[in-house]
Amino acid sequence: MSEKLTNDAIVDRAIASIKGLRVDGGEVFLRDGQSTSVEVRDGAVENAITRGERGIGVRVLRGGHVGFAYTSDLSAAGIEECVTSARDIASVTEPDPDVSIATKKIDSPDLELYEAGIDDRSVAQRTVVALAVELAAKGVDKRISGFRKTTYSDGSLTTTVATTADVRGSYRETYFSVGTSAVATDGDERQIGYHGEAKRQFRLVDPDAVGRVAALRAVGKLGAKPFKTQKLPIVLDPFMGMSLLGAIIPLFSADAVIKGKSLFAGKTGTVIASDQVTIVDDARTPGALRTAPFDGEGVTTTTQTLVDGGVLRGYLSSLKTSKKMGQAPTGNARRGSYAAPSRIGAANFHLAAGAMGPDELVHGLDRSLRITSLLNLHTIDPISGEFSLGATGDYLERGERLYPVQGITIAGNLTTLLSSITGVANDLVFGSSGIGSPTFVISELSIGGA
Amino acid sequence: MTITEKAADRALRTALSRGGEWAELFWERHNVVTLTLDDNKLEDAITGVDQGAGIRVTAGDRGVYANGNVNDGDDLLAIAGRAAAAIADDGGTREVTAISADTLPRPSIVTIDPRTVAIERKVELMKLANREARAFDPRVHQVTVLYRESAQDVVVANSEGRFRTDTRTRLVFGVLVTAKQGEVLESGYKAEAGTEGFEMLTEEAVLETARTAARLAVQNVAAEPAPAGTYTVVLSSDAGGTLIHESVGHGLEADLNLKGMSVYSGRLGEKVASELITVLDDGTDPGKRGTAAMDDEGTQTHRTVLIDKGILKTYLSDKKHAKKLGIAESGNGRRESFRHLPICRMTTTMIARGTSDPAEILASVTDGIFVKGMGGGQVDVVSGNFAFEITECYRIRDGRQAEPLRGATLVGQGPKLMSEIDMVGWDLGYSVGTCGKDGQGAPVADAQPTLRIPSVVVGGKVAQPS
Repeated sequence: MSEKLTNDAIVDRAIASIKGLRVDGGEVFLRDGQSTSVEVRDGAVENAITRGERGIGVRVLRGGHVGFAYTSDLSAAGIEECVTSARDIASVTEPDPDVSIATKKIDSPDLELYEAGIDDRSVAQRTVVALAVELAAKGVDKRISGFRKTTYSDGSLTTTVATTADVRGSYRETYFSVGTSAVATDGDERQIGYHGEAKRQFRLVDPDAVGRVAALRAVGKLGAKPFKTQKLPIVLDPFMGMSLLGAIIPLFSADAVIKGKSLFAGKTGTVIASDQVTIVDDARTPGALRTAPFDGEGVTTTTQTLVDGGVLRGYLSSLKTSKKMGQAPTGNARRGSYAAPSRIGAANFHLAAGAMGPDELVHGLDRSLRITSLLNLHTIDPISGEFSLGATGDYLERGERLYPVQGITIAGNLTTLLSSITGVANDLVFGSSGIGSPTFVISELSIGGA
Repeated sequence: MTITEKAADRALRTALSRGGEWAELFWERHNVVTLTLDDNKLEDAITGVDQGAGIRVTAGDRGVYANGNVNDGDDLLAIAGRAAAAIADDGGTREVTAISADTLPRPSIVTIDPRTVAIERKVELMKLANREARAFDPRVHQVTVLYRESAQDVVVANSEGRFRTDTRTRLVFGVLVTAKQGEVLESGYKAEAGTEGFEMLTEEAVLETARTAARLAVQNVAAEPAPAGTYTVVLSSDAGGTLIHESVGHGLEADLNLKGMSVYSGRLGEKVASELITVLDDGTDPGKRGTAAMDDEGTQTHRTVLIDKGILKTYLSDKKHAKKLGIAESGNGRRESFRHLPICRMTTTMIARGTSDPAEILASVTDGIFVKGMGGGQVDVVSGNFAFEITECYRIRDGRQAEPLRGATLVGQGPKLMSEIDMVGWDLGYSVGTCGKDGQGAPVADAQPTLRIPSVVVGGKVAQPS
């Protein structure tokens, strides 16, 4: 039987191996995770899945060149090969004087990311949660005829980053998530509604609420009609709001700004949104879903107000982009896995809550369309800011829902959208993507239809 | 390492040692090289290997799947042990049919293994594309070139005695161009991709990809915003097949049909499209991005007629759903990696050629939209509502291609749209993509002839109420 190295020993070996090469320095990222998912169907378990993943990603710097290699082979030879691959592939990159590794000690308080006891939970205990979701959904309306999929997942991850400049940090985290797609049937018509939640602590997951919301979304679309081509004010509830806010994140990337691929380039200190808009990226709130003590480069994370009352205040940056812009790094070089290098991304990115209740906000609109689902969000172009999406919605008059509509499109530009936000409610919610949004109103968008 | 028949046999016996009826081992070693040239610099160079296995055990309708990274025989047995513990039904040890390896024909021929090509050559081609795109027009503002090579070695073994291997060599060469005019930024993207060797990346192919991306970006930056409303649309074969993938393909995946979750559920033998429409999925189409010798359950890939002259014939199946629905195994059980269970997926999906002259289809429309490029799409299979992105389109005026338009989407309902298409061209054009379903990505291709849709909703920024 071969000897298995501990996570710390793996990182030590990789760092020692980099130091043994004639290079300027390097960084090692290790991730070790276990997760379990249970998929239920018609009251019984369909699949129980346990996953294990453990690997390292190594970045080696040599004369401004940088190479990246990863491996899941964590034997002594596998680690050695990974480090040499990173060194070898570095030679094809163009040297960049601003490429660097973390040199500052990490500020790593307990951010309440880990809940003990996850490993003791049985498949049966996990199944109960998923079944409760379906039960709650069925209780909403007798037209709930089934589920495309109901999944409960949980997992724990250990993340370690170390650099040859003696920076080293490690943290453990857990997550618990549940989601379902409920189907409502009425005669020949069928509609689907999805809802999901993800939390850091098991007790915060609310299967009843997840089932109920998914069921209401499905039932709410039954009887949807075509809708005339027109322009109307658009109402986005927190979940639809999150979807569109997610598309705005790349515009704040300092990398995109530097390369001229962001509409926010050169706009700091200027008005880029309506005065109702304050956008914050927060990586430090304890227990929040995308909170982390340090980023994928081993830089201490921050909380940053990106847009303050409509004025652009800053960008999301990595070590390299902060050096190029002559600013302090914000700790936004995030890692999806050991197999991919850091990319600029957001933490708990959100539109700050306004003062008014959501009902009050919508009541003031003579005619409006409240969006209930969006198709093709992944096609929004972060460079041009243009979007044109498939949608379903509820047609409202003075906030009262008259009927649901389907087969429509909404289109516009993300920058125009930010300038057209005329009302922000007080019901801020954070979703399973880590993005937070209250209900908000866009003064007008083009709706394509019949 | 690789997995021998003996190691697979031992893992399967362990997996079935505590009950369960059927077990399967999926092992892979996946080597990837990704190079990114951005802002005139070869900025990112990534190389890596991920190696692991997943073991599935089923008992009745219940399935367990344990997976993890595998570096030696002990790792594999540990995963098998986890699967056995999870299924444990006190049913005692089950028999495993003696494993015997067989070999499937390889539909894609790899002449030049990209792993044998010097990395400097790859970088040279990227720089060539960068120069070509930048020289295209002064409004070209930024260029990103992406090269990705993927070599996936797969072993599938199961307790019925199956032992099969496959190697999938896939390449992507993509160019993203940003054009700027005044304050307006627009992008254009074009990718060449296939299950092929390095021979697909000729200098001419690379230059053409760069020019196309640049042309799209420059054209879009000067184009008028597209209108919103209902229009007659001609979809050129140049646009490839996103429409068939979204509007019909997903709805024909067997898992969704078993659960009654698709608009096509329970409709085998019924008319679901115009008689002009024949739909195929072909996992054997040589060199295409969705092609492989076998799927990820070791079932040989097929050319499957899904809809024949408007009549629904069968669904895209994996082993489990083929059995449950009583249809033939079509070799469409695919998974992103060893971390995932296989699900019913498309490979290369297409509408078969028709009989109309593509030029006459365009000439037949007095006022409409001519779509020459499609991007990503999405479908809600339950209602059949779909949307896809249009990356290149023009106004049709008096049967001719007129001014370019930008920022459009097309939305509709699959079966309704398929019954309304009234002209199908004799040409055929392919496109490539990565399809997402249940959190798993899969390389796919799709293809369509030129089509005429009499009336469909186009979503642009300019709403002109009728």
